[in-house]
Amino acid sequence: MSTNLSINLKRASKIYNEGETIAGVVIVESNSDVRHEGLTLAMEGSVNLQINSKNTGIFDAFSNSIKPITLVNTSMELAPAGKIPVGVTEIPFELPLRGRPSSAGSGLLETYHGVFVSVMYTLKCCMKRPYLNKPLNAGCQFFVQYKHQEPAPLKPVRCEITPASIFASGTATRAAMPNFQLYAEIDSTVCALDKPITGKIRVDDCSVPIKSIELQLVRVETCGSSEGYARDATEIQNIQVGEGDVCRSRDVPLYMVLPRLFTCPTTTTTNFKIEFELNIAVIFEDDYLVTENFPILLLRCR
Amino acid sequence: MPTYYQWSFVKKTRSKNIYPSLEVTTHPLRTENIKITPSLNKTLVENLQKWSSSFQELDPLLRFEKMNEEEASFSLNINEDNLADYSKTWSTKRTFILNKYTTGEKLTIISSFLPGGEKTLIRQVSNLNEKVKHRLEQLDDFDESSVRKTMGLSQQEFVTKVHMLDEEIKKAWDSEQRVKAFKIAIQCSKLLSDVSVMQFYPSKFVLIADVLDNFGSLVYSRLKNKSYGNKNVNFQDIDPNAVPEIAKETCQNWMFKMASIRELLPRLYMEMALLQCYVFLSKDEIEPTIVRLTKMIRGMGNPLVAIYIRVYLCNVASKLLGRQSEPFFYNNLKEFIDEYQQIFHPAMLKKYGAQLLTADQYLNLYVPAIDWMLYGTLNSTNDKLTLLEELLEKCESIENSELLLCCIISSFDSPSIIQKSTSILDIIGKNANGMVMMHSALTSLGEHLCVVESYRQPSAEVLSQTWWKLASGIKNTANFLQVLEPWIQFACLQLSSQHINVILRGTIRYMIKCGQPPDDYSTQIQAVVKRMLKHIPDVEELFLMDAFMPLVELVQTSAARTSMSKSVLSIFFERYKADRIDDPIVISSLMRLCRILHDSINAVSVEDESKCCAELINKYIQVSHHDDLETQLNFYVECRAAFIKLDAVLVALVHAVNTLSTRGPSSRGRWLQRACAAYCFITVPSLHCALARSTLYLLSGQVSLLNNCIGQAEANFKALVGVIPEIPQFVHEDGQQKPTQDRVMGLIGSFLSTLLILPDNVDSNTKAYILSGFIKTMERIPWRKTDPLYYTTLLRILDLLCEMTQEQYLYNIDSVISNDELYGAEEEFIKCLEIYATNICQEVLVVLKFLSDAKEAKKQYNLALELFWRIVRRGDLEQPSMSSLASNLWMLSQKLQDSNTKFAKSILTALKTAPGGPQLLEKLKVQ
Repeated sequence: MSTNLSINLKRASKIYNEGETIAGVVIVESNSDVRHEGLTLAMEGSVNLQINSKNTGIFDAFSNSIKPITLVNTSMELAPAGKIPVGVTEIPFELPLRGRPSSAGSGLLETYHGVFVSVMYTLKCCMKRPYLNKPLNAGCQFFVQYKHQEPAPLKPVRCEITPASIFASGTATRAAMPNFQLYAEIDSTVCALDKPITGKIRVDDCSVPIKSIELQLVRVETCGSSEGYARDATEIQNIQVGEGDVCRSRDVPLYMVLPRLFTCPTTTTTNFKIEFELNIAVIFEDDYLVTENFPILLLRCR
Repeated sequence: MPTYYQWSFVKKTRSKNIYPSLEVTTHPLRTENIKITPSLNKTLVENLQKWSSSFQELDPLLRFEKMNEEEASFSLNINEDNLADYSKTWSTKRTFILNKYTTGEKLTIISSFLPGGEKTLIRQVSNLNEKVKHRLEQLDDFDESSVRKTMGLSQQEFVTKVHMLDEEIKKAWDSEQRVKAFKIAIQCSKLLSDVSVMQFYPSKFVLIADVLDNFGSLVYSRLKNKSYGNKNVNFQDIDPNAVPEIAKETCQNWMFKMASIRELLPRLYMEMALLQCYVFLSKDEIEPTIVRLTKMIRGMGNPLVAIYIRVYLCNVASKLLGRQSEPFFYNNLKEFIDEYQQIFHPAMLKKYGAQLLTADQYLNLYVPAIDWMLYGTLNSTNDKLTLLEELLEKCESIENSELLLCCIISSFDSPSIIQKSTSILDIIGKNANGMVMMHSALTSLGEHLCVVESYRQPSAEVLSQTWWKLASGIKNTANFLQVLEPWIQFACLQLSSQHINVILRGTIRYMIKCGQPPDDYSTQIQAVVKRMLKHIPDVEELFLMDAFMPLVELVQTSAARTSMSKSVLSIFFERYKADRIDDPIVISSLMRLCRILHDSINAVSVEDESKCCAELINKYIQVSHHDDLETQLNFYVECRAAFIKLDAVLVALVHAVNTLSTRGPSSRGRWLQRACAAYCFITVPSLHCALARSTLYLLSGQVSLLNNCIGQAEANFKALVGVIPEIPQFVHEDGQQKPTQDRVMGLIGSFLSTLLILPDNVDSNTKAYILSGFIKTMERIPWRKTDPLYYTTLLRILDLLCEMTQEQYLYNIDSVISNDELYGAEEEFIKCLEIYATNICQEVLVVLKFLSDAKEAKKQYNLALELFWRIVRRGDLEQPSMSSLASNLWMLSQKLQDSNTKFAKSILTALKTAPGGPQLLEKLKVQ
């Protein structure tokens, strides 16, 4: 005798905006009659914060993981105690998605999976069963997205990278640098999450062979409060746009699709911040690396 | 049955028109052309096939070919009407690439999904301690995330490994491990970043492109299945709005997965492989994606890798969009031209140098790719000439334009190229120094020019002069000859023979000057000569050029000389349509070639080989013609001396001489005919086959007789009689043992008919001298008595003897005095013949006896009737011995079989009119 419990959402993408209703069915599959003491469905959403282990020495004030911030927590009873007949039983449900005010703000946050900050939403279904039987649990993640805003005006940036510019910024790590002249352009630093980041890079001149040109997406997560904070930048993804010694004076397109889950609109709350940056890196044959950093603003817009 | 019957002949008074005759509209011996209607024919063949189909085993190689074809026809049915054109062209191109770009170098494959790798190369970086690391290392062997590098693979092994990966993808896919399949596909595409064995790169690309195509269609068909179930939906009919959300979601997931591949090359390849899946999201996205990918390929620094990605993109586009993809071909071509100088990047030069490739070989690696892009580009434009001009301008403006130029020349259509041929030659001329692909450019230009119908005469000369200046500067002999091949055809088609001759002289000078033995280039020289022979309007003209024969004989090794002469002769005869050659120069040149051919025959030559040579030489003998008959005979004498090893040629010579003999005038004491007869009589004995010898003796004898050379005829017939016992029962012919019986029977029949008119040698005292010799020979041969050949011959001798007794023979040769005039049916002569006849008749009766012993009732019956018929027709029935023999024979036949057959009946009817017939008839009826 076995009983299976699962949750199926109506929407295949499992993506919902705040205020929408999550509809779906709980499926009980069993090869005999099931006696139970109540079937409940809970919706939970929270922000989990974590402090980088390297930084714990400095911020003793915090425990290793800060208490999660609950964004939403509701539950409902799907069926009172009783019996579910043999076979497949589908119990439909509908839940309104509405956040409750928290320290993170008044509404829900977008789902985001990061290293130190993550925002997650789950549906949990629990079937309590008579004495000596473990309760049956089933879970299902769903994703929250903001409603699409009107598109923001484009903010293109361009830069030229030369040995001189690197010296000027004071980040030069060695004195003797090959002679090079790079030109890079990003079509907009204000980017829609659904659209790829585009731009171009041109090698006008370079005295040594180039090994690779890469585009790196970095998240910058900041956790803390008024007393202090920890700020960590980690790579989300790294996309190669040029391999080998590319042709000089030719525009090589930059193109990056923003990954789902690992990105969300740039968020700032009292306890944490999620920001994103873009690095353009040119690696020379001798593994010498030249990078240019662009902070970007991600938005949920059309 | 009495054993002895005296034979006596009846004399017939013969009047003309004794035989019934009727008027006919067609010649009775004309061969009827039976027309079989094809439909009938087909059904017959079909019927036959129906019966044999179950036994018909396809050639295993052919079967694979068929399977491939079938597979190809099942592949994605997108844009059927236009697609066929591209996918078909590509598949031929594909085979071409696989065949051309091969290597003997060792190859390397890096993958985590193949068993038996030697070395773990890349491992996840971990800060675990050594012990744990070691344990994990051991586990790694089973772990799929470890990457193994297999080195030292031969080309064939490499191909097998790639196929294994393909299989692995399918297996993983079928077992729901789609991410694994995806990973394998990525690893496959990564193999294309390795240019360590460049020579193999194009083939490697083709192999891996196939794997990626397969992967792409796996994803595509799964998505299609998710959207439409098992319904068969064409690519064009997919409506993104009708695609269910779940399929869209899956598709989106694939796209995200693909977009996050770190490295550029696999990301590009995977996006192309999955390009068709965009249709489930939005149809409008495909074309902008192609445009974007076209630009993104700029990021590939290695030009070889880059151009083949472009080829793959064009391929995918053509599969999806059919003819609408042509602009993308052009875009990619333009991108390629913009990046053109990357090919000559010092780093690349160093790389191919390190792999011991020549510049020529290196540049050739790009050719199929450029050709492919040009192919699509050319299809897209209607104004090819403008495009050509544009591209040529480009060629003039950039450095190292040879590769591009070469591909342009070979890809464009002939009319446009021909129009711009002068300027193309100019460009080549300007860059001639240090051009490594000049020969292929010139070759393809030449090929185009060959197609031209008629070039303006003066400029054709100028063109060929410019060409010659360039060509004679080519260092490599093989390349020079390659270039020469199409241009010589052009010269043959367009220029006068003086010009051709000048080129040929130049060629010989070049070959001598180049310092290498011409033997190394024999096949190429042969190809050049073949081209000339095939395309010159008047093939005889070639032999009149003083440089042609020296060129043909430039190569000295005997094998090469033989094959050269063979091909020259066979093409010559193929093209030479007149039925005779009069020109002595041509004849002697051909003689030279035939001699070479003949001299190549030796004891170990295969039969087919000598047969083939003999055929060619025979043709030569047949068409060679001298107006003076004596010269002609001398020519035949010379031929006999030259071609003594080939029996077939000797046979042909004898026939030719006999023909000549009949052409000769009868004046001047028939010296020519005598000479011819002597020639034949001397030639025939050197043949090996007795049957052939006897046939020729007979023929020569007949011809001599016709020319009233009695002595020669007699000699021939005498020789023939001597040869007959030597004729074997079977001859080897066309690889089979064939019985000679029928032919011998015909031969003897013809011989006996000729004997009728052969006058006796007055010097000898034997009557019917040759015939008696023949009869004696017959007796000497140990015949099997029941052999039909034997008794038929006996019957025929009997016939001949009967005819010889007549006062006037059935036929005569005007100038020859036959025995009828010679003896005038003299008593002694008749008596002699009757003795022969009696003996023959006796022998036939013996045969009858043997037949009855052998229980051959049917044969016995027939023979008895035949003999009966001869007695009735030819014998004197009034003689008692004849009539009793006749009645005995009739009785015998009656006993054997009821004589109600047509044959027997008609004999009886004839009997009524014969002298003494009615009496015999009475006698027969009584019994």
